[in-house]
Amino acid sequence: MPKQANFSRIFESYRPLPGAFDECFDADGRVRSEAARVIELLEGLGRKEFRARQRLADSTFLKGGITFSVYSDDRGSERIFPFDLIPRIIPAAEWKRLRSGLEQRIRALNAFLADVYTDQRILEEKIVPRDLVLGAKGYTPQVKGILPPGGIYVHIAGIDLIRGPDGEFVMLEDNARTPSGVSYVIENRMVMKKVFPRVFAQSHVAGVEGYPIQLRQALDSVGPAPDGEGATVVLTPGPYNSAYFEHSFLARRMGVSLVEGRDLFVENDRVYAKTPLGPRRIDVIYRRIDDPFLDPEAFRKDSQLGVPGLIRAYAKGNVALANAVGNGVADDKGIYPFVPDMIRFYLSEEPILGQVPTYVCDRPDDLSYVLEHVGDLVIKAVNEAGGYGMLIGPQASRRERADFRERVRANPRNYIAQPRIELSTCPTWTHKGVGPRRVDLRPYVVTGRDTWVLPGGLTRVALVEGSYVVNSSQGGGSKDTWVIEESWR
Amino acid sequence: MISRVAESCFWLNRYVERVEVLARMLDVNLAFQLDVALPDAERWRPLVVVNGQEEDFLERTQTAAVDDPETVQDYLTWSEDNPSSIQSSLRAARENARTIRETISLEMWETLNDLWVWLGDRAARRLYDADRHDFYVHLRDRCLLFHGVAQATMLHEDPFEFMRLGTALERSALTARVLDIKYESVGRTEETEETPTGAAQWLATLRFCSGVEPFLKRDDKPLSGRAVAEFLLFDASFPRSVLHNLDRTRNFLVLVRPPTPTSVGERSYAIVCETLEALRAMTIDSVLERGLHDVLTWIVEATARIGGAIHADFFDPRPLGSAAERTTSLREEGSQQQTQSG
Repeated sequence: MPKQANFSRIFESYRPLPGAFDECFDADGRVRSEAARVIELLEGLGRKEFRARQRLADSTFLKGGITFSVYSDDRGSERIFPFDLIPRIIPAAEWKRLRSGLEQRIRALNAFLADVYTDQRILEEKIVPRDLVLGAKGYTPQVKGILPPGGIYVHIAGIDLIRGPDGEFVMLEDNARTPSGVSYVIENRMVMKKVFPRVFAQSHVAGVEGYPIQLRQALDSVGPAPDGEGATVVLTPGPYNSAYFEHSFLARRMGVSLVEGRDLFVENDRVYAKTPLGPRRIDVIYRRIDDPFLDPEAFRKDSQLGVPGLIRAYAKGNVALANAVGNGVADDKGIYPFVPDMIRFYLSEEPILGQVPTYVCDRPDDLSYVLEHVGDLVIKAVNEAGGYGMLIGPQASRRERADFRERVRANPRNYIAQPRIELSTCPTWTHKGVGPRRVDLRPYVVTGRDTWVLPGGLTRVALVEGSYVVNSSQGGGSKDTWVIEESWR
Repeated sequence: MISRVAESCFWLNRYVERVEVLARMLDVNLAFQLDVALPDAERWRPLVVVNGQEEDFLERTQTAAVDDPETVQDYLTWSEDNPSSIQSSLRAARENARTIRETISLEMWETLNDLWVWLGDRAARRLYDADRHDFYVHLRDRCLLFHGVAQATMLHEDPFEFMRLGTALERSALTARVLDIKYESVGRTEETEETPTGAAQWLATLRFCSGVEPFLKRDDKPLSGRAVAEFLLFDASFPRSVLHNLDRTRNFLVLVRPPTPTSVGERSYAIVCETLEALRAMTIDSVLERGLHDVLTWIVEATARIGGAIHADFFDPRPLGSAAERTTSLREEGSQQQTQSG
């Protein structure tokens, strides 16, 4: 059979990593049924053709200017986000369960934020320790008592999931402030369709292109004047921000203006954009500027990125901000261990998805355990992101461990620790052929009047052999994520 | 539309225009070399001068490198230090486009980004070394393509008008500068009978503006400095003549201004009308009498004044009076604003 002969070309020497779940092959090296068709179609191309298409994909990203800016380079140079052509596959049934779990989590996080900034019932009832919440860096007393339109705080969430050795997805991290990456999901898909038209035509993959429309609807639905009088805009820190491409992309695909802080001003507690013909009223701002830089009157005085008076307008209900201000208290890594309790408290439901066991260093018992087991644990600073401020104990040097032990001891509130999970792997193209590389998954959840979950999400892959770090700033790349419709199998 | 976006639209097209014109000038000059016996310095130096970079160029090269065609071409094409080089102008055009991708069409972005990626690639360098004519033609054609793509894919409303405004104003200034090259190379001439070298230079001047065939269609005019200057200054239909472009500048200003009565854009409009009136009052005889170089300098300065007024009127508006009142009047204008901003 010619297909058999082709099969040996790309995946022939592929061996899953012992001890990790592989997304495409089982422990004995057999193709999983949900991936079988795709693997077979890719095999049909052969190695040489596959490589040619990888080059085509890379040049498509470059020519489309689908890039991220590199901070370290003062010329403002841009790089493409490395992209791997072998998709990550999630069967529809499994996705359905994930989606329910994500929706549930967002409902709970929203309820938590609404509670924390008003009655603080959950603190009264001691479900979450008061000191932990009020002492969190993201807790923002300036917005206490301000109820955002519709009571929605988390309009856009990116929730990081990983899959352990048992094949179960668990929640790793919440991003309820300014999660990024969704533009790559959509562009990755566009490139995949261009590069593998035939493979695509024969797989039943759930579409992702609806995201900007869903986002636009959600944003418009939370505006203070639903009659469309004021405009909806995307607020960016500017072209030198690493995620600028995404800000521009989302504005373009939503058909709204992309603005910088200097394009807006506040008068009589209302927000206006400067246009050549005079001021234009703004109702809804999808802001990609972090809280501390949003309004120099309310937060950091030295911020050049923000809009003076914005929080006044927000407090008066004259402008909607997405995400809401103060969400950092909900995605704080120190609060994370309590999310299952929030689900039970606010929703009277059991959590659908599990999460990673977490030691909260603020608790004396946990602290002493962590200090004794630094070499076995992953220790994370609660307010860092991007794979920074993190120690992977089993891979760290003696000096790094000692250093982290000191840091944790000096400021326990600032750290949590988790056992290192053997992240699942996915076959990935490398210069030595296809090899197993670790992946995570960031689905995107959009909430306006309803909640909508983008099918799939961003699969980030640690391209460096043996690495657990999937962040683009540290050698990570991405893959297209295919939620394969039931009917196809 | 956001003021900053309007400004980027305006500058995007000014930079694209600079790339196109400079590429054409360099290309024409290469061919022109073959036709006439002139010292190298007289062939290439004017291009540096006309781009306003003589001082910088001499400082950087520290030699009489104006005699060296390779150095001049390299400086005008590739130099990152020269803000007027093709490389710098294309970078600026692309950077402006990058910050308004949500406003321009995807096809426009791809056209421009593709050219930028190409220029940064080894293939472009190889072409520059192997076939310079093809290299400059590629640049020129892509700039022209950009205009066509814009015309065919972008909404024909304010952002587009600001782009066309940028093109028209830049062309007025560039044509004046190009015409000044002739002055730079041979000084003031009023005679109607041209020497062969002079005729070749006037032809080259026309070709800098892709104006040879349009000029020849004005068949009552034999090739002379006087006729070429008259054509490039006053022809009403030639797309690169000064008069034509100032007229268009005025038209686009009318399009981007709100319906009267309004004070928005008053200053820009007044200066353009004033300049047009003054130009229309001139004839080629009065220009030559006053001195071609003087008139060209006046034109270049007038376009700078117009650019400054456009900036003050549209790109850097101070929020004046009650914003709420002004918004109400804005809303009455109907759907155009809505489409752009909302």
